[in-house]
Amino acid sequence: MSTGSHSQEIRAGCPADPSIRDTLESDAWRRYPEFAHRRARLRGLPAGPDAGLRWHDRVLLILAIVLFAMILLRTETARADDFWGIELVSSTSQWNSMALETRMSVDVTGLVARVEVQQVFINQGSDWAEGVYRFPLPDGAAVDRMQIEVGNRIIAGEIRERQEARRVYQQARAAGQVASLLEQQRPHQYESRLANIGPGETIRVTIGFLCNVQWRDGSFSLRLPMTFAPRWDNHRASARIDPAPAPQLTVPESGHHRPLRLEFLLRTSLGYNSIESRYHDVDISLVPEGYRVALLDERDLPDRDFELTWTPELGAEPRAELLTWDGGDAVYAQLMLAPPLLEGLEPQAREVVFIIDTSGSMEGAPLNQARAALKNGLEQLEPSDAFNLIQFNSETEQLFDQSVPATDHHRALAREYLEGLQADGGTVMAPALEAALSLPALHGQFRQVVFITDGSVGNEPELLLQIAEQLEGSRLFTVGIGSAPNSWFMRKAAETGRGTHTHIGRLEDVEERMVSLWTRIRNPAVSDVCIDLGVDAEYYPEVIPDLYAGEPLWITARMPLLPREVFLCGQLNGQPWGLNARPRLSEGAEALATLWARKKIEALEDSIVYGADPDAIKSEVTDIALRHELLTRHTSLVAVDRTPARASDVTLGRASIPSLLPAGSTAASAGFPATATGWVAQVLLSALTLLMATGLYLFCGRRLPLSPSPAVDGTSLK
Amino acid sequence: MTGKWRRWPFAAVFITAALLLIEALWIPVKAEMAQALMERAWSRVMRGESEARPWPWADTAPAGILELPERGIRQIILEGASGRNLAFGPAALNGVHQSDLVLSGHRDTHFRFLDELQPGERIRIQTTQSLREFAVTQFDIVDSRNRELVLDPSADRLTLVTCYPLDAAAAGGPMRLVVTALPLAAPDSDSRIARHYP
Repeated sequence: MSTGSHSQEIRAGCPADPSIRDTLESDAWRRYPEFAHRRARLRGLPAGPDAGLRWHDRVLLILAIVLFAMILLRTETARADDFWGIELVSSTSQWNSMALETRMSVDVTGLVARVEVQQVFINQGSDWAEGVYRFPLPDGAAVDRMQIEVGNRIIAGEIRERQEARRVYQQARAAGQVASLLEQQRPHQYESRLANIGPGETIRVTIGFLCNVQWRDGSFSLRLPMTFAPRWDNHRASARIDPAPAPQLTVPESGHHRPLRLEFLLRTSLGYNSIESRYHDVDISLVPEGYRVALLDERDLPDRDFELTWTPELGAEPRAELLTWDGGDAVYAQLMLAPPLLEGLEPQAREVVFIIDTSGSMEGAPLNQARAALKNGLEQLEPSDAFNLIQFNSETEQLFDQSVPATDHHRALAREYLEGLQADGGTVMAPALEAALSLPALHGQFRQVVFITDGSVGNEPELLLQIAEQLEGSRLFTVGIGSAPNSWFMRKAAETGRGTHTHIGRLEDVEERMVSLWTRIRNPAVSDVCIDLGVDAEYYPEVIPDLYAGEPLWITARMPLLPREVFLCGQLNGQPWGLNARPRLSEGAEALATLWARKKIEALEDSIVYGADPDAIKSEVTDIALRHELLTRHTSLVAVDRTPARASDVTLGRASIPSLLPAGSTAASAGFPATATGWVAQVLLSALTLLMATGLYLFCGRRLPLSPSPAVDGTSLK
Repeated sequence: MTGKWRRWPFAAVFITAALLLIEALWIPVKAEMAQALMERAWSRVMRGESEARPWPWADTAPAGILELPERGIRQIILEGASGRNLAFGPAALNGVHQSDLVLSGHRDTHFRFLDELQPGERIRIQTTQSLREFAVTQFDIVDSRNRELVLDPSADRLTLVTCYPLDAAAAGGPMRLVVTALPLAAPDSDSRIARHYP
């Protein structure tokens, strides 16, 4: 091979400088190709097929892969689902038993559904067993009725005052009776424990709960989870009992179909555009109370959720529906005001004032969410709208002196301003609210204040009072940010401000929630709603919000007498509007009383914040709760043994235990905050990077002086 | 000449890594310093000062004390589990006076002891209104993507939450370690108030 051709190949990318040194170099490269590679790489020249990555890049890449694998490996998986039905444990084995028969009756009054479920099981083992009954609950459900029949023993739930419930339980336990346990801690599951189920005995469980009907995109819907779940939880059994027995499937006699019977009553006087069952074939019939929906197939299985969707018929004018129930002492009522169709509304020009909390508690993810929510809000503005932007921490700062039209230019200014926001300082909310509410009124524009905060304030009552005083024609919409914002305050602030409250827990939810808020408030249908329910009527919400397109308005009331008519008034398309609603008495709609009592208790508990005497409120709440059989902070669901008196048979004794249910259906839940700083990893990584940077530097520093003198290289490599 | 331009990237990497190192080390230092400053503010709170700010620009004030007598751990609790509060100490998720008290803390600063707790270990919570004593009863590991904490206003218990696993390399993982403690002195403390998740 010739030396010349080799040197040309190597020097392809170099400035030509044919000298004796080059010749010497190319000679060294020819003899030591490895050195040639390294030299070329150090100069950043391509050398060979794998020249894309330097060796320290590769080290970094490997490190990154290892780190990533570490993260993946350390992530634990969630636990297995619970079994729905009865889990039976005897002294020798453990097995699961599914319901032989399920009956459900659902009674829907407005936005609340009263559901009663009855399930039948059989202990098919040959031993006495203890059982755990589990039933899935829909969102926000609160169990307030239960009865369990085992053989001829009856254990029934009763609402008692909390302290009394505890006493009952302790007495029973002191007397050495076998305690049965009744629990409902999580909103999505009901659980009850029973002891001493004899072989072959039938277990009949009846539970009743209230749950909320969902409203979405112009339709009501209710989804009821079902219990048939053919999966077996092996590891749980083996963890508890040793040696682990194979789980037995309770196979009933052939031909048994574990049927589901379901009856659904929709109380209404309004016409519906459609009533649809999503997963089951149903039969719909007209009854005096409204509509009755039943499963078409009597032998249907509870193997999929039942979901019913019904869409009210909207007209060109707002419509009202007044359902009432005579409770003896008073008449309970629920008024639904349905908005007109969107076509019947004239668009109104608005002035939107955004307030964003930039106090220290908003630092990090909350501020990013708030920023995203606000940017989304800016995008949704119409050119005819005006807007303004206020930020506050210890200080309040206003972007524009006066609200400006939502032109592209102004929006760009606002976006720029948002980017520069930093979270720091305290949360002084009052001046920001005042600034927003006291902006000079723009002619013919309806002011909507959108308040984005985590609500960590200490002076809630004063702020609410301030809102009530300064609101005038404005409307306040609160947007709660973060995993556990002060939602009580924000809900109340929105209520006082005649607006609505939206909660955004995660960054991914921002768009969906803001768009839904926006569609809701873009078209006010009836504003300044007033209602005349007669003398001595108590109704909730106390401040009636506006009626918006696409979303009905609900008012719950208690009246001493049934009125002949209820008069409603307000502003529709800027014109005065009025309507007479005729009450409809509904048999068996005691859910109306429950609904009212829940609202009343909520209002009573709120009054403590405004300075009412807590003890007086407590006794009043307990009173109402006992009368309306409600679970609250002061009352409990107690399992009482209602077994007919028998000879003192100790093994059949049943004790009662207070239920551990959160107050009513208001079982709040909160997300988990982020609880890691990752500083150790960052220290390690940055220290490693430091070391590597130093190492690389030293390494290269040692090599660098050598490269200009290939002769030395040649000798050293020899 | 070639050596000179090659030195620049190294210097940049070096400085960045050094800054990152300082930033990371600042986290535990801040956690410790804030506790010391808040300890002083707490004595002012106990003297009846309503807004005892530990440092002038603070957006928070000490709300109580978390004590584990067997470990000699004593930490100031803050109100509101915002990211900023958690940097300074364990924080109450929904109010420090709640009977169903939930405290969260960073797994790599204040709550790094959480997985070493033993069942039955005592925890003391002091606020301006009460002194409560609990014993550890239950440990759960939950996925925060599909579970939430039920806040039960009628339950009397203490829940400590931190990220899990405690020695994971990266922050922001979905799993949480949830330690439940029930009151020591309550007459019916064995009425099961197990912690559940929706």
